Amino acid sequence: MMPRWSVAASAIVMAMGLMGCVAQTHPQDLFQLQEESPRNRAMQTRVFETKDEAELLSASAAVLQDLGFQIEESVREVGLLRAAKERSAREYGQDISRFGIFVLSTGLIFVQQPPIIIAVDLHQKIAATLVTRPINADATRQEVRVVFYRVVWKGDGSAGNQSIAPGEQRMEMLRDPVMYQTFFAKLSKAVFLEPFAL
Amino acid sequence: MRHRVVETLIAWVVVVTTFGCTTPQPTPDLLAPTDAQMKIRSIQTRSFDVKDRQTAMRGVIAALQDLGFIIERANEPLGLITAARFAEPNFYDIVGISVTIRSETDGRTTIRVNAIYNNKPIEDPKVYQNFFATLERSLFVAKQ
Repeated sequence: MMPRWSVAASAIVMAMGLMGCVAQTHPQDLFQLQEESPRNRAMQTRVFETKDEAELLSASAAVLQDLGFQIEESVREVGLLRAAKERSAREYGQDISRFGIFVLSTGLIFVQQPPIIIAVDLHQKIAATLVTRPINADATRQEVRVVFYRVVWKGDGSAGNQSIAPGEQRMEMLRDPVMYQTFFAKLSKAVFLEPFAL
Repeated sequence: MRHRVVETLIAWVVVVTTFGCTTPQPTPDLLAPTDAQMKIRSIQTRSFDVKDRQTAMRGVIAALQDLGFIIERANEPLGLITAARFAEPNFYDIVGISVTIRSETDGRTTIRVNAIYNNKPIEDPKVYQNFFATLERSLFVAKQ
């Protein structure tokens, strides 16, 4: 017979393992700066040596339009722009792995289970929020911070006898530095100024 | 005698059913603030040593961007900012936040924050402390 403490210990380990299956979020963590926050901030921010905040803002709007965005919200007084564009999110890689998993899981038919069809990304909305703000007292320097993010909608699929309904959502901040560099390169061309990082 | 019993029974039934028809009268303190309300309000509100409301608004926006929120709306004349984000790593829950910024007469600015988690207000003081800590940092950087 197993000693009692080992039964208790394994019960605790099992409980902990099961708990790990559920992605728990605690709202208090969401209001705390993460380790990567300063890095993101540096990537998304450039400083321009100009007094004219309105010019900087309208040039930013023009660049966003060049990139195919629609301006959805603008507040001049606090230097805010919000823009979005919708595009297809289909990727060949995902379709190939969907097919591969389908083929590999056809063996499930022998245990009277349908093959697995994973859901792939179908549609995405790419959005940007842009904020300008003066960073010194006499407002001769302006900071521009742009954040790109995307919301992805998934198609349908099935796992076992359970079908996965389409429309599952996922959101992520775009963390590709090249994207931000391109944006700022275009912006600096538009305002004839050389930006510098903080 | 039998009649009596039936009569009283009917009388009782009538009395009991009509009871349900009377509406409870609203008490005079129906809309009066409760203690819990006052407590929540004091948790959500903080006053900062910032003269200019615009500066404070920009500070709030910068803090929200640092925290990964998407600024949905900003209204300068009213001093109002609305933002939201998914409660990553899961994408079923949404955190919404609305901030009001008001200038006080003594050169300070009062900032009130309301955060909701899936349409349920967040009442944990720790959450608001974290937010104000981030905001303080952002305002301090802005001042330099």
